[in-house]
Amino acid sequence: MSIKKLREMNLAETKKAIKNSVNEDIIVINIINTLEEIEKQTNSLVMRLRDFYKLKHPEAESRISDNEGLVKNVLSGNKEKSVMGANLGDDEETLQKIALMCKELYDTKNFLTKRLESLLQKYAPNMNYLAGATITAKLIREAKSLRKLATGKSSTIQMLGAEKALFRHLKSGANSPKHGVIVNHQIIQKNKDKGKAARILADKISIAAKLDFFKGEFKAPLLVKEIEDKLKWKK
Amino acid sequence: MEEVNKFRVYKQRGRLYTKSITKNFSPFGEKVVRYKGNEYREANYERSKLFAAIKKGLSQTGIKEGHKVLYLGSSHGYTPSFVSDIVGKGGVVFCLDFAPTVMRDLVIICEKRENMIPLLADATKPETYKDKVLKSDILYQDIAQREQVETFIKNMEMHLKPGGFGLLTLKARSVDVTRKPKEIFNETMSVLKERYAVVDYRELDPYEKDHAFFVVKKK
Ligand SMILES: C[S@@+](CC[C@H](N)C(=O)[O-])C[C@H]1O[C@@H](n2cnc3c(N)ncnc32)[C@H](O)[C@@H]1O
Repeated sequence: MSIKKLREMNLAETKKAIKNSVNEDIIVINIINTLEEIEKQTNSLVMRLRDFYKLKHPEAESRISDNEGLVKNVLSGNKEKSVMGANLGDDEETLQKIALMCKELYDTKNFLTKRLESLLQKYAPNMNYLAGATITAKLIREAKSLRKLATGKSSTIQMLGAEKALFRHLKSGANSPKHGVIVNHQIIQKNKDKGKAARILADKISIAAKLDFFKGEFKAPLLVKEIEDKLKWKK
Repeated sequence: MEEVNKFRVYKQRGRLYTKSITKNFSPFGEKVVRYKGNEYREANYERSKLFAAIKKGLSQTGIKEGHKVLYLGSSHGYTPSFVSDIVGKGGVVFCLDFAPTVMRDLVIICEKRENMIPLLADATKPETYKDKVLKSDILYQDIAQREQVETFIKNMEMHLKPGGFGLLTLKARSVDVTRKPKEIFNETMSVLKERYAVVDYRELDPYEKDHAFFVVKKK
């Protein structure tokens, strides 16, 4: 075959393969990355909103600690009197624009949260039930796919997201990390023996991943019960 | 502009360049210098292990104008694009990577550079792309995986012409994080020596930490 032909063939084949490579894993990973980014952006932008609102209504600004509540308050055109507050004049519109942008971020976050939840309910129902959408998505991201979670070891699942700390430990003998992204799970949060809880949880998540990947049945409530029994039994 | 050895790589004030086969195309934001009617693209040796090895005094690359190159682990195509300049329009670079994400960028570059051909495949399974590549003069591998040396040898055996050169970048950490890089380099050296003539070897620090670069010749 001539090089020209070979090139055309490989280009066409590669393009097709790339097109077909888009799957649930990639969408899940993109959504969780975007959610994390939105979180960061929202925090910074609400700070700027606070800077502005403080000029107009310092009392309200300091009273409302909840960020989303603050945005709503600004947008509702709060008419409360303020002694220290200045008249923003034309910059009332500036304030409203910034608040609208914050609201847009909250709306997108809510949309993506729901989207992730419904996607995972179909794609990884057992993991989603057991670990929640956020942890499930992060595990898929760290492992790169549900398939890798399902075919890997549960000790790996326990450490996913803690690679940097693990590497430091291997290299310099720093404290060995006991858990990665699963650390935020309430089972670990609430348990005194975090290492033990992490091991048990990772073990069950591994089973859930296998059920999900190999299209097994929905057994997650049973897995949750088993975790609870194990942790109680030990006490 | 002064040629480095006979590599078709050029040097000016400590920076390295290749003579570009395209006009007005610098997909990586690389600096382009015009010299005697030609465009030269700057190859950053902190970004490319091949150029780090050249910077560290590599005596041979084996890569010549008109060569066919099989490049394993092409990623977004940074180093492959410079190899494509080196072999010129009469040569060809088969750029293989198994990650669709990087392939998206690579395909766009291949469309603009006529001597680059993309291949979405797994380098550890050389038989799966046997009908999609030609026997090559050069095998270049940069995959940063545990089984990188075995993969290199498998591909050398299946896809390289006798007398052809193999260029291997070795990332010690991907082989084993717990062992000393030097130990892994030595071990790799003896494995390679059993089969090939090792014509050059460089460690890439300070440009790449814990990386080594091997140039071998197939008998
Ligand atoms: C360090 S990057 C290569 C950088 C590139 N050589 C350059 O200098 O511009 C390693 C690449 O190898 C790819 N890779 C790893 N294992 C592979 C395999 N078994 N088959 C094909 N590609 C692989 C990865 O997807 C990644 O893009």
